[in-house]
Amino acid sequence: MSSPRVNPSVAPSQLYFEDVELNVSLETPGMTLTAAHVTLFIGMTQDVSPRDNGLVPDLLPLCLSSGLGWRVPRPPLVVLAFMGFEWRFLLPLRVGDTIRSISVTNTKRSLREGGVVIEERRIVNQRGETAQAGKLTLLVAKRPTS
Amino acid sequence: MSRISQVYATSGDVLSLPFVSSPDGAFFEDVKVGREYTSPGRTVTETDVVLFAGLSGDYNVLHTDAEHMKGSLFGERIAHGLLGLAIQQGLASRGEPTAAHALLAALKWKFKGPIRLGDTIHVRSRIVGLKEGVKPGQQLVTVERQVMNQRGEVVQEGESEHVLESRTP
Repeated sequence: MSSPRVNPSVAPSQLYFEDVELNVSLETPGMTLTAAHVTLFIGMTQDVSPRDNGLVPDLLPLCLSSGLGWRVPRPPLVVLAFMGFEWRFLLPLRVGDTIRSISVTNTKRSLREGGVVIEERRIVNQRGETAQAGKLTLLVAKRPTS
Repeated sequence: MSRISQVYATSGDVLSLPFVSSPDGAFFEDVKVGREYTSPGRTVTETDVVLFAGLSGDYNVLHTDAEHMKGSLFGERIAHGLLGLAIQQGLASRGEPTAAHALLAALKWKFKGPIRLGDTIHVRSRIVGLKEGVKPGQQLVTVERQVMNQRGEVVQEGESEHVLESRTP
């Protein structure tokens, strides 16, 4: 008996457009927002928008969720480009809060080169309250045909 | 007490914050629909991209693997889209009245083209609307922004809504 060319018990190392499952909720580990995050972020961006002490910059949690998004129990998605997003800022987040990100893909649209994936994402705090939420549009590679 | 009130309570006059040159002030009444602003430029460097990967934890090959990217659509590493967004927020805050970049309520954003390492970007913004907020004394300012590179190409664009307080609540 010949052995199968692909061992089905081995998870694929990368996730292509065809592999993306709809309506599966993926939750990331938590990340505690620290003064170090705020200092680094403000230093990089020079964003001097007024805020009181302890409030983190509005865009920082979204940026952190982009890294957290890779730390989910599924192989990394082969993203060709981030096309855009719509986002709402619902609750203030402060240094000391711990965020995590929960996302669900609810739309897939195949194109000639790759496919569009629309992901609903929300950032929740340590009490499970949604602090920021929206949808992100990604261009994802199709599985190579060779 | 609203978020904006807390800003005033702790920092006094927000117009005195360092680096903010704010001809139009920080209140709802100071914002004029139709007014346009152009920010200073900033060159997006490899250092920016490496630091942003470290801060965000987004080490996608698009931003970190020069060899892989030689064979890609872009031919080289590109900046994270959200890095471009974060940098433009900082640039905009150097060119606009404080009121136009107060606390964010909503954002719609499109990444139209890559920001390559070494590109110099600046922001053009326009105040497009004012409306009542959810709470009394609160107003929402809508701002359209375009991020342009040194060739005049729009690499990112979108619309943001900011929460403001009225000077006379």
